[in-house]
Amino acid sequence: MPKQQEDYYDILGVLRDASQEEIKRAYIQSAQRLHPDKNTVAGETELFLEVQQAYEVLSNPQRRAKYDAMLPKEVDAPSIIQHEVLVSRPNLVRLPEPQVIYLHLELAPRAQSEQIPAPPLNVCLVLDHSTSMKGEKMDVVKSATIQVMKSLRAQDVFSVVAFSDNAEVIIPSTLHLDRSKMEARIHLMQPSGATEIYRGFEAGLAEIRQNIDPSRVNHLILLTDGHTYGDEQACLKLAEEAAVQGIGMSCMGIGNDWNDIFLDALASRTGGNCAYIAKPKDIQRLLIDKFKSFANVFADDVILDFKTQPDVRVNYAFRLTPDGGPVTIEDSMHLGPILQDTPLTILFEFFIESSAVQNESVTLLNGSLRPSITARPTPIPPIRLHITRDVRADAASESPPSKILSSLSRLTLYRMQERARSESEQGNYDSAAKHLKNLATHLLSQGERHLASTVLFEAENIKQIHTLSEEGSKQIKYGTRALLMAGSKEKVK
Amino acid sequence: MTIACPNCKSTNIPGTVFCSECGAQLLSPDALVTQNITTAQVHEAFAQQRTQTITSPQVEVTTWASLHLLDTGQMLPLMDRNEFTLGRVSDGQPIMPDIDLSAYQAYAGGVSRLHTVLKRIGSRVVIMDLGSANGTYLNGRRLGPNVEQSINHGDIIALGKLKIQILLKS
Repeated sequence: MPKQQEDYYDILGVLRDASQEEIKRAYIQSAQRLHPDKNTVAGETELFLEVQQAYEVLSNPQRRAKYDAMLPKEVDAPSIIQHEVLVSRPNLVRLPEPQVIYLHLELAPRAQSEQIPAPPLNVCLVLDHSTSMKGEKMDVVKSATIQVMKSLRAQDVFSVVAFSDNAEVIIPSTLHLDRSKMEARIHLMQPSGATEIYRGFEAGLAEIRQNIDPSRVNHLILLTDGHTYGDEQACLKLAEEAAVQGIGMSCMGIGNDWNDIFLDALASRTGGNCAYIAKPKDIQRLLIDKFKSFANVFADDVILDFKTQPDVRVNYAFRLTPDGGPVTIEDSMHLGPILQDTPLTILFEFFIESSAVQNESVTLLNGSLRPSITARPTPIPPIRLHITRDVRADAASESPPSKILSSLSRLTLYRMQERARSESEQGNYDSAAKHLKNLATHLLSQGERHLASTVLFEAENIKQIHTLSEEGSKQIKYGTRALLMAGSKEKVK
Repeated sequence: MTIACPNCKSTNIPGTVFCSECGAQLLSPDALVTQNITTAQVHEAFAQQRTQTITSPQVEVTTWASLHLLDTGQMLPLMDRNEFTLGRVSDGQPIMPDIDLSAYQAYAGGVSRLHTVLKRIGSRVVIMDLGSANGTYLNGRRLGPNVEQSINHGDIIALGKLKIQILLKS
């Protein structure tokens, strides 16, 4: 790395027009990570001193101005991440009513950048061992955990927490496992008690924090089969705190009695995703796939900090790859990971009020992307995003880019399912049944006969007995989501 | 200016691409004009071709390119728009190709529903495979999916087994 070219802004990983607040935040983050009391890798103390020096200059407005004056002009150094932004329409139309526009964002490692070795892991498995897990589920979870332990490398940190209405650390966070002893402890797990996710989640995070290190993939995997009651808000807060520290989480729901909407919300706070495991025998495969994807991580999370105009808002955001799932819409969005072989792609829907199109141009999104790249101790400069559209009197006569079309066509199916579900919850049964039937028509035309028949069955159920079964709604949701991902993967290949 | 869905007639917010009610693709009124390639046009082009030397058919003036279907000898002129997707229509599919090749043994030839796209960029014409199952070939060489490739007058492309000669207007 050519050191002499790095200026103080690069060292802190901020843009040159960063505010004092942003500089301070970047400094605190880097300092926490690189502080001599904590760092373990040779050379990080030197990095810490550089960070401190950079902060001393940039935090003082006078010294910063002086420093800026002698800086060479900013060159757009090619980032090691390449990004592509596609917008569904070349311009907005001046209309007396609201309109929507879609944005497709794709982030991938730049092809030339060197092959990065599989990052070391710091993973905690948080396992539900409530009474409902009794029998096959518990047995499969145990054997899957043991299987995963066998695949760990010497540099990986691993821990296991079991929870029901209290939490117990089965395997404390440690670098070198005494495998036979730990296997015995896993075998001793007994199903008992109720499901209280907060307890397990909190204990799991504590284990990860013991060895937290930005050069590792810090991740918590929650496996559960039940609803948690009363602690949802506290869990969401924990997830937000975890996200700030760079801890990701994914959820795996077994069977039909878990709260998919809550777990989706929980995982998406950290840029993670949620998987549906219909049959216990799939647990092992999905868990091992998850660990394989960790080995492929290039950046474990990308944060989008952004602002829109007051009359423009992000209506919907969905991650298409690598793991499909909704993205929580906040000022600081956790978009998810970039894998070495799979780009991160997000589709946004912007809702534009008529008051916005009275101007000549509309800023859809003004912000920056902050990828945390696992293999680098210092942050890379954020990628600036400033996307505007001109306002014209007429619509342009171009059809949207084919990438947007193909992903939207699949996302539309997923959203029809979401809509039918919320309508059925609101007691709007006729409309829910109608949307499900429309969905089934599309599924049939794509050759998804099995999923289509599930959808039709549920549509009939809604009509006659006014209920949507837990099983059916999960199958439809994750079925249409799987279609989304299958379609995106085809594109990548 | 709300968009009425051509399938279920429900209204959608301007800018929507797929109907939120039934999932059909919306064609915003002046944005996407359905290209009707009538048989009259085909015959016209075909007749014109026959009047000239058979080996090198010329392209009609208003078109920027023509597709010469080698198996059946028909000509499909491309005009007005700069981008055409090629494929075959089957029932209820959410995205329709601009040019439906089902009448030319597309199914037997292994043409995907959305197979390939032809674009005019300035004076250049490019082809891009849309991740089709049986691939797009340019002069016998299979193209990578989603990679644009320039094509020249007289090049032969194949969508699966369906061979088409590209005739560009010079």
